[in-house]
Amino acid sequence: MKILKLPKTNFKLFMEGLQNYGEVHVPKKKSSQSFVFGPMENTSEIAMDYLRTINPPKKYFFKPKDTLFNFSSTKGFTEVIEDSDKKIVLFGLHPCDIHGLKILDIVFGTNYPDKYYFARRKNVIVIGLSCMPDDKCFCRSMATDATEDGFDLFLSELKSSYLLTVGSSIGDDISTDLKHLLTEVTKKDTNEYLKIRKERKNRFTLSLDTSDLPYILELQRESEVWEELGKKCLCCGSCSMVCPTCSCFNVYDIKNLITDSGQRVRQWDSCLFKDYAVVAGGHNFRVNRADRVRNRYYDKQNGFVSQYGKPSCTGCGRCIQYCPTKIHVVEVFNKVRGEA
Amino acid sequence: MENNKPKIGIFGLTSCAGDQLAILNCEDELIHLANALDIRDWEMAQTNNDNTTLLDIAFVEGVVAQSRDLEALHAIRKRSKLLVAIGTCAVWGGVAAMKNQIPRDILKKEVYGEEINVVDSMPALPVKSFVKVDIQLPGCPIEKDQFLQVVTSLLRGNLPEILQFSVCSECKMSENACLVIEQGEVCCGALTLSGCNARCPSHNIPCGGCHGPIEEAHYDANVTMFKTHGITKDDIEQKMAMYAAPAWIPDKLLAEK
Repeated sequence: MKILKLPKTNFKLFMEGLQNYGEVHVPKKKSSQSFVFGPMENTSEIAMDYLRTINPPKKYFFKPKDTLFNFSSTKGFTEVIEDSDKKIVLFGLHPCDIHGLKILDIVFGTNYPDKYYFARRKNVIVIGLSCMPDDKCFCRSMATDATEDGFDLFLSELKSSYLLTVGSSIGDDISTDLKHLLTEVTKKDTNEYLKIRKERKNRFTLSLDTSDLPYILELQRESEVWEELGKKCLCCGSCSMVCPTCSCFNVYDIKNLITDSGQRVRQWDSCLFKDYAVVAGGHNFRVNRADRVRNRYYDKQNGFVSQYGKPSCTGCGRCIQYCPTKIHVVEVFNKVRGEA
Repeated sequence: MENNKPKIGIFGLTSCAGDQLAILNCEDELIHLANALDIRDWEMAQTNNDNTTLLDIAFVEGVVAQSRDLEALHAIRKRSKLLVAIGTCAVWGGVAAMKNQIPRDILKKEVYGEEINVVDSMPALPVKSFVKVDIQLPGCPIEKDQFLQVVTSLLRGNLPEILQFSVCSECKMSENACLVIEQGEVCCGALTLSGCNARCPSHNIPCGGCHGPIEEAHYDANVTMFKTHGITKDDIEQKMAMYAAPAWIPDKLLAEK
């Protein structure tokens, strides 16, 4: 691991230098309270103080709507992987979102590797960025508030500079290329970093007690909490869309009118939708709202843990910020624990 | 001239004819539609219509709001193998069904005055209230792409799949800031069937619910949510009842009054 220093006065040149490695995408302001990742038009639009974007970085690899292949009665199947050659430098991912990608790498890489996801994943350079939590961040509880890998470069903000951590060989290439913009880390910088780190730790106001959580959930399957939640949840699916690790999709065909041909498409789906668990013959395994809501929570903190040894929640706070009816994931689990 | 093309009819009950217009607006595909289908009966778009032949598919727009709509609907059902309700009026009742809870006599007097009593008007109800409907494609108007997929599926002998996703899901896929959360608007996205790519919220306009409700739309939870924004129940009702009142008004909010 190599750590260098990028003075803020060189930041603009650094960002421009990244353009040699691909189309640079950065967090940008979308509305009074919302941000999105999008192509950088100029460096002044980078929202360096953003905390969470509406959609997580998954949208670059697992697109909201994606053509998988074309089919035709005369030509058979033709594979389509849109943007498989597009080089992107994705700048500004906070540690929780880097963990989100690491979780998706497991989901899409285990058993049946998803070539659509990985065709894009291999072309994206990930540059992380430090952050200060707000009242919806509980990444510290999920152990996703820091990361030692999963990035090519990582910027930790100090008062007048960034500490630049190199996390991969391509990250090393970039830092070598742009070395005229970088300096050595001094003892003073290290002290400043440690001070900010401590301050950040104290800034967290939200926490989730994850100890024994999968076990408690197993015992609380019939808890009245799920029934109550089913009464409040709109089942609109917003939380699934904005979740950095929700990765369910629906597959359907778009057929052409004139010829025997068409496209097979997949689209983000949500287990909160009524027909999500409908199978052939019309049976619905999760016919009640309460069952569907419960399923989402169990998938994150129980099912994923049994399968992969860790929860699939990153504590990013998106589901808290984007629930129209203010369902709060931490409050839900506190209730399940009998502590609220 | 006999051929193997499916014989179809396109009909309008009480409505603005917007769904039929949406079909005519399939400009690039219109010639292909005309080639693939044997259009026997379509008063709005062609002359020399044949109103007796048995049809493979009838597309019906509009709401039953007059006795002559009902007669026409029964006649259409009788001569058609498949009946496809197109547009939110046909599927849910649409704007014409907004005030069903007020007796017709009062409505007639309010609109036409005391003197005129010849207007044929009955509580507006969707097509499925009277006859069997095989496929429902809502929209105000219908989405051109969805209509073409319905036709294409039927031509291939398949039942079309209309995704039961909410407008919220498309809204988040388009990365719009939430108008409920950030602006306190009564946005019907969580209640409403997708297919429009969240067209209105993408232009900063709250969803009016023009596609009608998703399967098992959660009205109570939506009303409770909007009330916490300080919006009165009447305002919420008015907004939510605009396009699909018969779907829920009779047994939901009205029961509370």
